[in-house]
Amino acid sequence: MSTQKKPLPLIRKVAGGLFAAVALCAPSNGAWGQTEDKVRIDGSTTVGPITKAFAEYYMRQHPDVNITVSESGSGNGAKSLVNGTCDAAAMSRFMKPQEFSAAVDKGVMPVAHVVAIDGIAIVVHPSNPMANLTVSQVRDIYAGKITNWSQVGGPDKKIVAISRDSNSGTFECFNNLVMQKEKIAGSTEYVGSNGAARQRVQSTPGAVGYVGLGFLDRTVKALSVDNVHPDPDSVTSGRYPVARPLYLFTDGYPELGSHLHAFVTLHLSRKGQEIIESLGFVPVTHYK
Amino acid sequence: MDLTSRKLVDRSFTGLGWFSILLMAAALVILLAPIVVRGLGAFVFKGTVEHRKLQFEVFGHGRAGAVDAETAEVTEARQPVYDMLAAFEAELESADFASRRKHAGPLRELKDHLRRLLGPLPAEDAPVLMREQYGQTRWDRAQMALNHLLLIETYDYSDPTQMGRKILTPRVEDFKGTSLEPLFAYVEDNASAMLKPRWTLYWRFLFDSSHDAHFFGGIWPELLGTIYLTLGAILFAVPLGVISAIYLVEYTEEGSRLVGLLRTCINTLAGVPSIVYGLFGLAFFINSLHVSQSKSVLAGALTLGILVLPFVIRSAEEAIRAVPQTYKEAALSLGVGKWRAITTVILPAALPGILTGTVISMGRAAGETAPIIFTAAVSVGQPLSFLQTFSEPTPALPWNIYNLCSEHEAVDEIRHVQYGMVFTLVMLVLLLNSGAILLRARITKRMRG
Amino acid sequence: MADTRFIIQRNSLIISARANRLRRLAALGGRGILLLITSSSALVILFIFYFIIKDALPFFQLRGLKEFFTSTAWYPSSSPASFGATSIFVGSGLVTLGAILVSVPLGVTAAVCLSDMLPFSLRQLVKPVIEMLAAIPSVAFGFFALVVFAPQLQERGGTILSVAWWMITAPVAFLMLWIVSSVLSSRLPERIRSMGRLGLAAALAAPTFWGIWFVGRSFHALEISSGANALNVSIILGIMALPTIVSVSEDALQSVGGELREGAYALGATRTETMLRIVIPAAKSGICAAIILGIMRAIGETMVVWMASGNAAQIPRPWFNVLEPVRTLTATIAGETGEADHVTGSARYHVLFAMALCLLVISYAFNYVSDRIVRRTSRIGRA
Repeated sequence: MSTQKKPLPLIRKVAGGLFAAVALCAPSNGAWGQTEDKVRIDGSTTVGPITKAFAEYYMRQHPDVNITVSESGSGNGAKSLVNGTCDAAAMSRFMKPQEFSAAVDKGVMPVAHVVAIDGIAIVVHPSNPMANLTVSQVRDIYAGKITNWSQVGGPDKKIVAISRDSNSGTFECFNNLVMQKEKIAGSTEYVGSNGAARQRVQSTPGAVGYVGLGFLDRTVKALSVDNVHPDPDSVTSGRYPVARPLYLFTDGYPELGSHLHAFVTLHLSRKGQEIIESLGFVPVTHYK
Repeated sequence: MDLTSRKLVDRSFTGLGWFSILLMAAALVILLAPIVVRGLGAFVFKGTVEHRKLQFEVFGHGRAGAVDAETAEVTEARQPVYDMLAAFEAELESADFASRRKHAGPLRELKDHLRRLLGPLPAEDAPVLMREQYGQTRWDRAQMALNHLLLIETYDYSDPTQMGRKILTPRVEDFKGTSLEPLFAYVEDNASAMLKPRWTLYWRFLFDSSHDAHFFGGIWPELLGTIYLTLGAILFAVPLGVISAIYLVEYTEEGSRLVGLLRTCINTLAGVPSIVYGLFGLAFFINSLHVSQSKSVLAGALTLGILVLPFVIRSAEEAIRAVPQTYKEAALSLGVGKWRAITTVILPAALPGILTGTVISMGRAAGETAPIIFTAAVSVGQPLSFLQTFSEPTPALPWNIYNLCSEHEAVDEIRHVQYGMVFTLVMLVLLLNSGAILLRARITKRMRG
Repeated sequence: MADTRFIIQRNSLIISARANRLRRLAALGGRGILLLITSSSALVILFIFYFIIKDALPFFQLRGLKEFFTSTAWYPSSSPASFGATSIFVGSGLVTLGAILVSVPLGVTAAVCLSDMLPFSLRQLVKPVIEMLAAIPSVAFGFFALVVFAPQLQERGGTILSVAWWMITAPVAFLMLWIVSSVLSSRLPERIRSMGRLGLAAALAAPTFWGIWFVGRSFHALEISSGANALNVSIILGIMALPTIVSVSEDALQSVGGELREGAYALGATRTETMLRIVIPAAKSGICAAIILGIMRAIGETMVVWMASGNAAQIPRPWFNVLEPVRTLTATIAGETGEADHVTGSARYHVLFAMALCLLVISYAFNYVSDRIVRRTSRIGRA
């Protein structure tokens, strides 16, 4: 990067002239129109339903607060937190060492809040007679070694493997827990979110996909993995092999009494637990 | 070839031409038909009592008395269902273990379906998510929920070498011989009494904010965001574009090197893929100029402004060129300066043409998605005030269409909202364009007359 | 008296000279400002190039050129990561090719029909159709492709394909049969010519239509495992490119001018012969420019491919198998900038800018070519 220290100074100047007016209108610290009462959330689509429901709930309690939720992927959430462009990053994986050190370099101290636990369910079309796959079978399917359901004792139908986009925490989690060292075959289709993955599976008879537990419904069929069915119990007890915690990361521990603090600890409240449960995730609390 | 054959070939060729024109029109119809038909479904539909209740409780629309009276009526119609449930549960309490075990699962499922159809059961706490606080607000979705309540969908996997076959069994069979058996017939017969479907014109869809991740309410934040982005882009692009056009037409000689260079630049700008504008907006406006801390309406509007700039320049150029040379000559011969001649004679004459170009560019800016992904758009947010646009991101129609149809957790449940959004966006753009077409027609008429 | 008048006149002359200088200065200054503004709006393109290149270069410094352009292994997030973009280039190329196959024949015939066959009143009706098609936002096309078209293609793909096959081939085959048989029978003596032609046509028709039927049947039997594939996207992109192709090639056809057409008609040519042998060759370069603009539209489109192409980074087997999902440059940029951690400046972030740079270069190259074509034509037209 240091090789291009003074790149086209003239262009810079013209740029300065051209957009000076604009820059004057909007001071870079964004002092204009900035409301005190706002919380910006960015990050994972998996945590999206939780953050959106929390935002909805919180804004109803505090109508003067504006909470924006961007669902642009876990990596993007981390980036936004490091750049100071969001207050809390929703992530479906833990921060990577590089991200962490980049944050520290920028004077940002990421603090993790575990919001909920999520299992990654392997789903197929409901007409598919399969009921169980082993982890290694799933791995072989996604690696392209198994291309037909008949190879795992199912009907003679081509397998359409559907994966989450590689920028998602769900993908990385699946990659670590299931694929391990194997690489996902090129013929795998990529979709942008859990909702899209489920939608593609429910409309494609030969499809297999993986979605967060919160996205399971009657339109798709979740397979047991290693004979363990994915449900809140098996996920909490750790029997289900493909599960991970979901995080909200903040810069330092949020100030007590701030809206951000209230937001990132909402999952610890009874209402928060209810929201998480009714969205199909596994809460970290046990109110009865 | 003899004459008849040549004639026939000629005819067939004409036919081919017509065929392709018709095919194009058919493509437009096939594309627009589902969007218009199902999009209108977001505005005009059979709303149930739940819809009116929600409208009253959440948005304050409607009359309290009417809603209360209706609620009382449907509560009366629903009461037998709840009574039967309570009776059955009491019956189970005293029943033997085996039958309790047998009925527990089906009962839970039945209650789930009832909740989905009618809203929370009377004895329960109010659920925390809004989507569970109300029953089905639309009759079409209520009928689907009713179907799921009455019929169990299972698959027959008896032959593991084949895909399973769907089997529908009536749910009533789970409760054969119990006191709950008549419930199903009752629900089926009285569904409309319990939900009171009525044709509703929900024009507030445009102006209501959305609730619970677009399950309820309208699309006002998105619509407003789109309007802000479009106007911002135009405010940025039109002055710049018109001045550039004036310079190119009035102050340069065609064929000079400078003009050639400028023109090449502008043409290349027009060909840049929209996603590249998005990356550029991210790298330049946000990461380098820091016009805002992160995504904001301002950054998005500037990016969109650059995107439409070449079109504005071209159309303004054409409009200025179309002003008869005699106008300018007359003005100059009266002794006014060139700049005066431009501002007082040429620009007013070219104004309708410039406006046409502006309106078409507005349509383009309103519909573009790729440039705002990284610069302005978020999936959930409140409507912004004017000052907030300088620092805050906004939902916007094009982005939220993408978001709702491929990233939302309940893609299928909110199809009507997606169609409503697409319909609104398409209509917005088409209205702008037909405005431009009309404007142009008037200009040509005036020029001719 | 005369003196005073002279002085006054001289004074006014002096004043006006000064005012003139001022005015000229102001005009010059104003002109300078105008030039500045104009060139800044033109220079935006240089900014774009600069900022994209600035972030693209680190990628090539980190990973070199070879992997990016030759490898098909696209694993940007695994460790060690690999950034082979060949399959993504192939995906972009494949959908663009498909779009062109859909839109060029349709668009050019429609342009011919529009410029030379339709009566004026009808033309006024068709033009808005084209403009509406051009105005519809790409995300609406993407929504249609994903929500309406993809499920249909998956469920009834075979039927849709075979119907389309029949619709395209049957009229063309009929036309070709007629031409071939009349050419062949023109040698026959007058008496049996029409008989002979019919016989020939019938004899040729049997195998031709059997062939069409055979292919159509195999289309019908096709099972499309996933509706989000290159075919879906190609068709939609083709429709999106249509308005550009139609209006630009219509302009080209119009600019050919009446004399050539009238000359051809005077020599007894039919309209078809006039169009195919005279007008289209004369408008060739304009039509080429139209096609290039259509290609640019298809290559640069993001939302449709992102939503409905399936996003699988693979080269279909065989390469022209449009029923497989593919991944394109634009969709990759749109989908993966989410991970783009600027902070660490990883190759994963910069590779997206490298792709954007490729897109920019491609669009610049096409622009240059079409510019040259148009300029050459206008020179020929003037000469």
